[in-house]
Amino acid sequence: MSQQKAPAPKAASETQLVARAQRGDEQAFAALFEIHKRRVYSLCLRMTGNTAEAEDLTQEAFLQLFRKISTFRGESAFSTWLHRLAVNVVLMHLRKKGLQQVSLDEVDSCQDEPVKRDYGDNDRRLMGSVDRISLSRAIADLPPGYRTVFVLHDVEGYEHNEIAEIMNCSVGNSKSQLHKARMKLRDWLRQNEGLMTSGEPVISDQAPTER
Amino acid sequence: MSETRHDSSAACYRFELELQAYMEGENKPFVLAHIRECAFCRVVVEDLEALRAAVRELPLEEPSAAVWSNIRAQLATAGAFAEKAGFWSWFSQLDFLRRPIPVAAFACMVALGCLLTAPRNYPEQDSTSALTATARRTAVRSMGFMGDNEALERVVRELEATFRAREGSLAPDVKTTYENSLLSLDTSIRECSDSLQREPGNSLAHEYLLAAYSQKAEVLSSALEFDEGR
Repeated sequence: MSQQKAPAPKAASETQLVARAQRGDEQAFAALFEIHKRRVYSLCLRMTGNTAEAEDLTQEAFLQLFRKISTFRGESAFSTWLHRLAVNVVLMHLRKKGLQQVSLDEVDSCQDEPVKRDYGDNDRRLMGSVDRISLSRAIADLPPGYRTVFVLHDVEGYEHNEIAEIMNCSVGNSKSQLHKARMKLRDWLRQNEGLMTSGEPVISDQAPTER
Repeated sequence: MSETRHDSSAACYRFELELQAYMEGENKPFVLAHIRECAFCRVVVEDLEALRAAVRELPLEEPSAAVWSNIRAQLATAGAFAEKAGFWSWFSQLDFLRRPIPVAAFACMVALGCLLTAPRNYPEQDSTSALTATARRTAVRSMGFMGDNEALERVVRELEATFRAREGSLAPDVKTTYENSLLSLDTSIRECSDSLQREPGNSLAHEYLLAAYSQKAEVLSSALEFDEGR
């Protein structure tokens, strides 16, 4: 996962917090929750699209974390370990609901769907800064399979090979689902009034660089 | 713009085939060339880039306070939290206490602190019996720290005289306990005194003698305090 490196002092204090939590220090548990709660909750919320489910899954992820924290040996960054655990909690939840299978079928059926175009206003494009609320809503409206890959790749920064491993699919399938997810999001946003505006093109000569 | 999908279908179809790879960062010259000419396809790429930029700016969401409350309650029920540390638990965390030199230095500092803060006007004559038990103890400790053997011996004698005057009022079992302690300490005092007679420069015997006198003074003070408290 291409995570940002934490500053050294924070990492050092987090290491101390983890060590204290491993000894059962309640304050250390609370501090670790405080540091990571927003990232974990946001991940859960974007992967489920439902606040109640997201809170339940956040709770479950931290409970699993604290139950297993004595087994953490520091071989990877604590945040990486935690977020991978949270992703697994959410995926397990989605599999129990049977949503993953639906999404995989959906990918196949949508394989040859052409790119949608606005023939009447073909020179209009999405604003440089898409409305955050609309974007969150659009992500929540994605089919679960698309949403999972999109959140893992574009939001959380996982690489396709990691997503393939997590979701037990091929790298090609992960790339395909991501592309479909992006196109669906674009369609959703373009269908909503107020998100479109005319303006100068922003195309560069370079191919987009992946994160 | 007046392009229609029909006008550019062949090129646009190839664009669609290569778009995914282009967005993954692969070098696709055809896509770059095509979006310069086709407004439809240019808007698609612009939208996807705007979308990707917007996703990176998405703020993190805040869970409700109930989440931590639930986690905390479940962890507490499962016994995940260690017992609250007691008042003296900090003492066991002082690693330096396990090393003799820092401990000795620490003890010297404490002794020096007591020496500097203890009352210096020791009772001269029969004033010992008039002192409260606490004051007696403080005076005795001060003498011990100062190494004032004669003053300490005098105080112990006076305390013992007072104790002998009052021992009849003590309960037999209490009296026996104190007597046994005093007997043991007297034996130590006698042994140390004998050693000092043989070797006046024996600093260890001198130190033990002072310690024995101090302990005897403590025992006597305790006995008198017990008697006063009844």
